[in-house]
Amino acid sequence: MDRVFKAIEAVLAALLLGMVLMVFGNVLLRYAFNSGIQVSEELSRFFFIWLTFIGAIVAMREGAHLGMDALVSKLGRRGKLVCLALCQGLTLLCCFMMFRGTWVQHEINATTAAPVTGLPMIWVFGVSYLTAGAIGLMALRTLWRIATGRIRDDELVAVSESEEAPHGTPVEAKA
Amino acid sequence: QFQNRNFRVSNGVSKEHPMGNGLAAMGACTLEKSGGKMKIQPFWDGALGSDLTSTQSVRTGSIDMVLTSTAPVVSIVPALGVFDLPFLFNTAAEADQLLDGKVGDWFSAKMPAVGLVNLAWWENGFRHTTNSKRPITKVEDFEGVKMRVMQNNVYLDTFKTLGSNAVPMAFTEVYSALETRTVDGQENPFTNIENMKFYEVQKYLTLSKHAYSPTLVLFSKKVWDGLSEQEHAVLKECAVVGRAEQRRANRAMEAKSVDNLRGKGMAVNEISPAETARIREKTKVIYERHAKAIGDEPIALVTEELKRIRGQ
Amino acid sequence: MTIAVFTFSLLGAMLLGLPIAFALLVCGAALMVAQGQIDTTILSQKLIEGADSFPLLAIPFFMLAGELMNAGGISKRIVNVALAWVGHLRGGLGFVAIFASVMMAAISGSAAADAAAIGALLIPMMRRAGYDVPRSAGLIAAGGVIAPVIPPSIGLIVFGVIANVSIGKLFLAGIFPGILMGLSLLVAWQWVARRDKVAVLPRQSMAQRGRAAVDGIWALLMPLGIIGGLKFGIFTPTEAGVVACVYAFILGAFVYRELPLRQLYPLLVSAAKSTAVVVFLIAAALVSAWLITTSEVPQQVSAMLQPFMFNKIVLMFVIMVIVVIVGTALDFAPTLMILTPVLMPVIKEAGIDPVYFGVLFIMNNAIGLITPPVGIVLNVMCGVAKISMGELMKGLWPFLWAELIVLFLLVLFPDLVLVPLRWLS
Ligand code: NA
Ligand code: NA
Repeated sequence: MDRVFKAIEAVLAALLLGMVLMVFGNVLLRYAFNSGIQVSEELSRFFFIWLTFIGAIVAMREGAHLGMDALVSKLGRRGKLVCLALCQGLTLLCCFMMFRGTWVQHEINATTAAPVTGLPMIWVFGVSYLTAGAIGLMALRTLWRIATGRIRDDELVAVSESEEAPHGTPVEAKA
Repeated sequence: QFQNRNFRVSNGVSKEHPMGNGLAAMGACTLEKSGGKMKIQPFWDGALGSDLTSTQSVRTGSIDMVLTSTAPVVSIVPALGVFDLPFLFNTAAEADQLLDGKVGDWFSAKMPAVGLVNLAWWENGFRHTTNSKRPITKVEDFEGVKMRVMQNNVYLDTFKTLGSNAVPMAFTEVYSALETRTVDGQENPFTNIENMKFYEVQKYLTLSKHAYSPTLVLFSKKVWDGLSEQEHAVLKECAVVGRAEQRRANRAMEAKSVDNLRGKGMAVNEISPAETARIREKTKVIYERHAKAIGDEPIALVTEELKRIRGQ
Repeated sequence: MTIAVFTFSLLGAMLLGLPIAFALLVCGAALMVAQGQIDTTILSQKLIEGADSFPLLAIPFFMLAGELMNAGGISKRIVNVALAWVGHLRGGLGFVAIFASVMMAAISGSAAADAAAIGALLIPMMRRAGYDVPRSAGLIAAGGVIAPVIPPSIGLIVFGVIANVSIGKLFLAGIFPGILMGLSLLVAWQWVARRDKVAVLPRQSMAQRGRAAVDGIWALLMPLGIIGGLKFGIFTPTEAGVVACVYAFILGAFVYRELPLRQLYPLLVSAAKSTAVVVFLIAAALVSAWLITTSEVPQQVSAMLQPFMFNKIVLMFVIMVIVVIVGTALDFAPTLMILTPVLMPVIKEAGIDPVYFGVLFIMNNAIGLITPPVGIVLNVMCGVAKISMGELMKGLWPFLWAELIVLFLLVLFPDLVLVPLRWLS
């Protein structure tokens, strides 16, 4: 599984690099040659959507999504387990709705072409299958582990408190 | 045969746009004819989503109705691309005659296959060009102007062919891009130029009339199929009542807009008929180049009908 | 009724420890049930649509630029310049911290990263020179939250996208209020540090000062380049982000030579992950925003605020107090996502300038990053300074008050925002 996620990280890095190159390329072209690549606005937006929805899976695995642990952290193990189970149930519900909504609208998006690239829009909207599927499976797995009593104490709170996670900050900050 | 109904209508424009007059007239009409049962509830400023995404929601039945110009719907029904072609219509009267007649019906008949019912043709109006570099009086003046255009291949190609640097950009970014001179110009109907306050950041307004943008009044087929025949009849009749009021308000506003914009300090100019003919000549290639994407049939239908209307 | 469904479903899900993005989806689903129209396509479609916006691309770009700046030695050089020029004054390291905070704010959008970077460089020095450590850490924490107010700012971009307000204008409007925050810290620092007996650093020679300035010149030019580029239309706010990335990369890799190429990969991964977290939240917020709109929650909020509508300043005051209270328990992004769609219709109805409101709203949210109990900048500073939250709060109070006073001065005198904006644009 770790190998899969290493590969996903590489995809994320490639998407971000691609966005940088396309958008910066357009700034350069506008000044150097008074022209631009017309697909770059649209394609870089699509890269961004893929990055967000694939990245959301990784964030879920790493417990990096923002949340409040103010109440949960004050509970005992039993209370935490109940909250965690409820959360997984609600997450599963959201994933089900996301997946089903995409499915209901599959045909509509498959027959709609992106204005500039002509790409069928299901290539963009369909990323929900991946996100909803992967996060839903993770929630199921956690529920299974709760049911069989295999959850560890450090897994009981699955959110992080702020979006401004101090990435790239000096070592002391992470202590 | 009327039940209590509340139809949610998505609009990309603001309440003050002539679409507001049209929807108000349509809503008053449905209320009256249904004995107070059928209500129209408009949402403005894209609060329910952009025109394209709202249209998708109308197809699934999440929203009941959307007012959208044809351009975004080309992604779904390529034949509508014919209305993006440059210099198709000369006058509003021509457009009315074509759209309200059998050719307009031919396009409307394509909509149910994609889950939409077109109730009537309203209008966004003729599109004009503004820029901060120079008044455009001849085809050469387009050269080297960085023009923001809609994310639409025909528009992109038209302005590229005219020698401009066509930049696709989201509508919401246009004001600040014009303000900071990231782009030099843009093209839109008067109402948008006024409502978006483009006059604050643009000096020259050229009445280029390079395209006429019709508006579709799209109802959800899924919702439609659950309505009675009387309800269908009321919606269709009232969309036509709304059409009359919307076109009247839009044209009254267009007439006032030139003076308003001049008053705000814009330099307004027209292109002479001879120069318009030259520009037209240069953009002829667009018709051929996009014939495949749009389809030969709709192009032939529209151009033949226009010939007939013009008595050629 | 719907407002109760909205509040309880959202708060309930959040208190259970559900990620806020999912809590917003749950809230959306609850509003669907309340409306009697359960429609999964709304959820799936609005979720993607929420991320489908070109201006939002500035988020990954500024995240990456921030990572490149810290890894490439740019932050360090800005602190060095300040040290060389004002380090020898009484309380001088405090002035260094304030100067560096404002400079960093003008090139980065992240309060926590700025505070951590400046804190890691300055707090050991301040400790050695005999400064009160909690007070120093408090100052740097309060300096960090200037970052979202002065452009570039992810907060202003997100607000601009959700509220449909010109991002270019918001950026220009944030400059002066951000500088005011810096000035308020200057006053507060002078007042609290007056009686400190601290070792004064030796004055550096003009040659040393010159060397620091020359070494830091490319870093110091970065804010001018970004603000100037926006002002003169060389690029849009989104493009400013990508230009900042390329500039920071060239500076770190080829000029300062502190950023080996192989380090680019982990920085890309890290920026991409932070982006996904923030943008997924924005996307989820669009789902609930859609249902908030169709359930007419803003109309109900506006009805509740009606008693204050008679005067714009009173209304702003009430809204700002509400945001301060919400901000104690919720951090930046969630407050922004949840409250913008609810408040904007009220702001429009009351005729308050949306650019003015945006700047104050973002400043208020930024201050929320240093109000207990929940405030990430506080957590970061505790880590950097190795002190407890209680100690940090004792040192922080004067600076927190200084910034709150600036916020409410701007409420009382809107011209403090609007007049400089007119000069700049
Ligand atoms: Na900033
Ligand atoms: Na807080």
